[in-house]
Order: sequence, then structure tokens, then C-alpha cells
Amino acid sequence: MTPLAFEERYCSEWRELADMLQRARGEKKVANAGQAEFSAQRLTQLYRRACEQLALARSRSFPAHLVDRLESLTHDAHQLIYRQRDFGLSALAHLLLTRFPQAVREHANYVWVAALVFILPTLILGWLVYRQPELILAVVSADTAAQFETMYSPTAEALGRLRGAETDVAMFGFYIRNNMTVALQCFASGLAAGVGSLLYLAFNGGYGGAIGGYLTNRGMGGAFYPFIATHSAFELTAIVLSGAAGLRIGHAWLMPRRRSRRQSLVDATRDVLPVVYGVLALLLIAAAIEAFWSSASALPASIKYAAAALCWTAVLAWLTLQGRDRAS
Amino acid sequence: MLELRPAGLPVRFYAFALDAMIRWAVLYALAMVLMVLGGLGMAVLLIAFFALEWFYPVLFELMPDGATPGKKLFGLTVLMDSGLPVTPGASMTRNLLRAADFLPFGYAAGIVSMLLRRDFKRLGDLAAATCVVYRPVAPPPVELAGVEPRPPAIVLPPRTQAAIIAFAARLPRLTAERANELASLALQATERSSSDTPLTSAAQLAAVAQWLVGRR
Repeated sequence: MTPLAFEERYCSEWRELADMLQRARGEKKVANAGQAEFSAQRLTQLYRRACEQLALARSRSFPAHLVDRLESLTHDAHQLIYRQRDFGLSALAHLLLTRFPQAVREHANYVWVAALVFILPTLILGWLVYRQPELILAVVSADTAAQFETMYSPTAEALGRLRGAETDVAMFGFYIRNNMTVALQCFASGLAAGVGSLLYLAFNGGYGGAIGGYLTNRGMGGAFYPFIATHSAFELTAIVLSGAAGLRIGHAWLMPRRRSRRQSLVDATRDVLPVVYGVLALLLIAAAIEAFWSSASALPASIKYAAAALCWTAVLAWLTLQGRDRAS
Repeated sequence: MLELRPAGLPVRFYAFALDAMIRWAVLYALAMVLMVLGGLGMAVLLIAFFALEWFYPVLFELMPDGATPGKKLFGLTVLMDSGLPVTPGASMTRNLLRAADFLPFGYAAGIVSMLLRRDFKRLGDLAAATCVVYRPVAPPPVELAGVEPRPPAIVLPPRTQAAIIAFAARLPRLTAERANELASLALQATERSSSDTPLTSAAQLAAVAQWLVGRR
């Protein structure tokens, strides 16, 4: 069969398939009413035939334009037929309520390591700076230290940040961007054999500890701790978890066992992705609380501590208890 | 079998630059409107800034085209290694890991990774098992110049036939000298007819292409 005869014989099918694809993607309104109705069955049938014809055209070394035409046709049909479209809310709920806690527990070892690397610098630097407040200058500049003092001084109107004309809502946006950037860096830098995650964890832990120790020493703990207690349940957990996820991918790259490094990395990332989704959700909650609840200076400390206890319990219960009964 | 053509650094840089411009244009427009609203507008702007930075590509990659506007304009698309459409999870992974590609500055890690690999993958692509490829486009139908078809002088193997047809399709874009020079490489296929008519070797080869394509 010559290329021309081949094309003549099948081009009506190709045109029908191309037409269906265009209509399925909404590019073409019902232009020619004479055309047959769109049917998925017919589409898959035409797709299979086009694949067969492509194989034939290739094996017979038919002209390039013919092969290219069939390639583009089968490519488009393939994309349409195999597209995933499960974005429903139930999928999201399943992800957050079941897959996320399950994935955290599957990576318990990494979580413990990340938590240690985060908490130890916090405690050590916090204690050191508490004993010798001038050590704060090793961590932040004098200006920044003075700024922190102003923020948590008893006369401050809103806690946590120096606030000009900005309102709580503006701070919500600021916190989201700031925290998510930290968490994503913490995760992604784990690709460097986990070293990046360890550094980010230790740095963020040490930084927070130093500020806490300094403010406690200057007698501002009464303003500082109620402020951080509630949203830290979400924020600190999120940073530790993103660090743990980073450690997991770094470890998978460093020690691929019996897989290729690349395959090991791909598998680890797929496993750990629910944790990263969970981290994003946690940070969203943290930013909302930090902006609207934590900074409200009118509320007494006792109420804030009670809310904090509730939040910490809820987060830990979420991570340890959810999704135990259902298989993923 | 699926054939994918990976996209290299330059074209991906152009696509990236275009996407960046679009993002900044959207932000600028948003800023103009939202600044009027004060604090609330500021918040929405910051959230939009964050969302555009990280999720703008995810949104577009999950659309039927599988490409951001920049990629689409340059004919690129994002696929799984298997050639399937990119999944939501993989799209998230490859875009969140841009943070790793960015290290230590200016996407240096991603650029080095792309330059070292034959399939031009950046780190995010490696971890997500995705690849950026040229979307196959249907070429315009080929018009072979209207010459009388002639049978070839010898029996030609399929690959040679394909080469001759491709040559004839390219003929309008070649100068006469170059066309004859190329055609003279295939004298064996056309030799027989050289005596009866005073055709150039390019025209003779085009005539053979006509015959091969099926006009007889």
C-alpha cells in the first residue's frame, strides 16, 4: 500500500477523531450538526485504531508528515483519555484526615529526629541566653533585639509584630507567606542529603529559643508565652514535619538500598507528599490563629493558655489517632 | 510506542521568563486595585503573591493542556515519565521542589541538573517523575510539486523512500543549486530517466517522490 492510498483510506477516521478531541476540549462548539454524537466508546475505538495505524506507518517508513500527524493525534487522544480528575472535596478530606496522619506515623523515625534537632537548639540557646542575655547579639542584631522588646512590652497595643496601619488581616497574609516559605525551604533543602533540612531545623529552633530566653530574662515572658502558645501547636509541628519530610527524601537519596538513586528519590517523595500537604494545611491554620487570636492583647493569659492546651491536644491527637481504622 | 522530545534549557528559560512576566503583571494589576482597600487589600495581595509563586504552575499543569501559558506558547507540555498526563501529586511535587532547584541562588541547582542530563530534568522533575517535552504538533499537509510521477530506477528500501519523499516536501524551501546538489546524491534512483528529458536532478527526484507517495 502506498502512503497516499493509506492516507486516503483512513483520513476520514483521523478527521473524525480530531473533531471529537476538539469538541471534548470545548474548542469547537457544535459546528456541523451532521456529525455523529460524541461517544466515549467511539473515541476509544478511534484512538486504538489510530495507534495501530501509527505503528503501521512507522514500520513501513511512511513519509514524516504522515507519521507526525498520527503522532500528534494519538498524543492528544492519550492525554484526554488518561486525564485524572478526582479533585473532589472528599479526596481532600481523605487526604487530610486519613492519609496525612498515616504518612506521619509511617515516617515516625524521621519525625523524632527532626523534633530532636529542632528542640535541642531551642532549649540550649534559650537557656544560655536566659542566663547571659548579651548572647542574644550572637543571634540577632541589636536593632532586632530592641524591636522584639518593643513588641512584647506591656504597653504594646498588638502583640507579636510592630504594627503600623496594618490590620490583623494583613498580618494573616504576611504570616502565611513567611511561614510557608520557611517550611518549604526546610523540606526542599532536604534534597541535599538531608543536610539542608537539619540546618534549617536547628537554625529556626535556635533562633526561637534565643528570642524566648532573651525576652524571659528581660521580664517579658508574661506577654511572649501566651502569644506563641496557641499557634505554635500548628506552626512548630508543621516545621518539624516539613523537616522530617526533607530528611526522608535526603536519606532516600543518600542510601537508596537496592534501587537506583533516582527511583529511590521518586518513591520517597511520593510516600512523603501527604505529609507536605498536611504541613501546608497546618500552616494555614497557624497563620489564621497567629493573626486573629494570638495577637489580641485584650484576652487574659489564662484563656490563651487554655486554648493552647486544647490546640496542642487536638494536633497531637490528629497525628496519632486519625486514620488508624481505615486502610489507605 | 510513544516518542517524547524533551525540551532543553533555552526554551524552558523563555517559557519561565514569560510566566514570570505574566505573574508580575497579574500582581501589579492586583496591587493597583487592592491598595485602595488598605489592610485587607494588603492581606489579599500577600496571599496572592504566595499563591502565584507556588501554585500558578500547578493550576495550569492540571488543565487539559498540561502547561503554563509560557510553556504553551513555546509548544511545551509537562508529562509523567510514562507519557501520561501529569497527576495532581506530581505537579505539586515538581513545583514545591522548585525551592530545591533554586539553591544556592538563581536556580543554579536546577540549571546544572538540566545541563548534565540527557532528558533535561531539573531536580523537581526527577523527584516527581515528570518531564517537560515538546507537544507533538500536526504538520501542515505536504504539497509535492506538480511533476509527472516516475518510477524509480532501482528498488528502494523503505527508509530511502521516506528520505526521498521528505526531500521532495522540503523542495520549496531550498535554493535550486542546493536542491540539485542534494538530489545528485541519489542519482542511482533516477538514472534511467536522465536521457529522455532535460530535467534537473532535483525535478527528477521529485518525480520519483510523486511515484513513491502513490501517484502513478
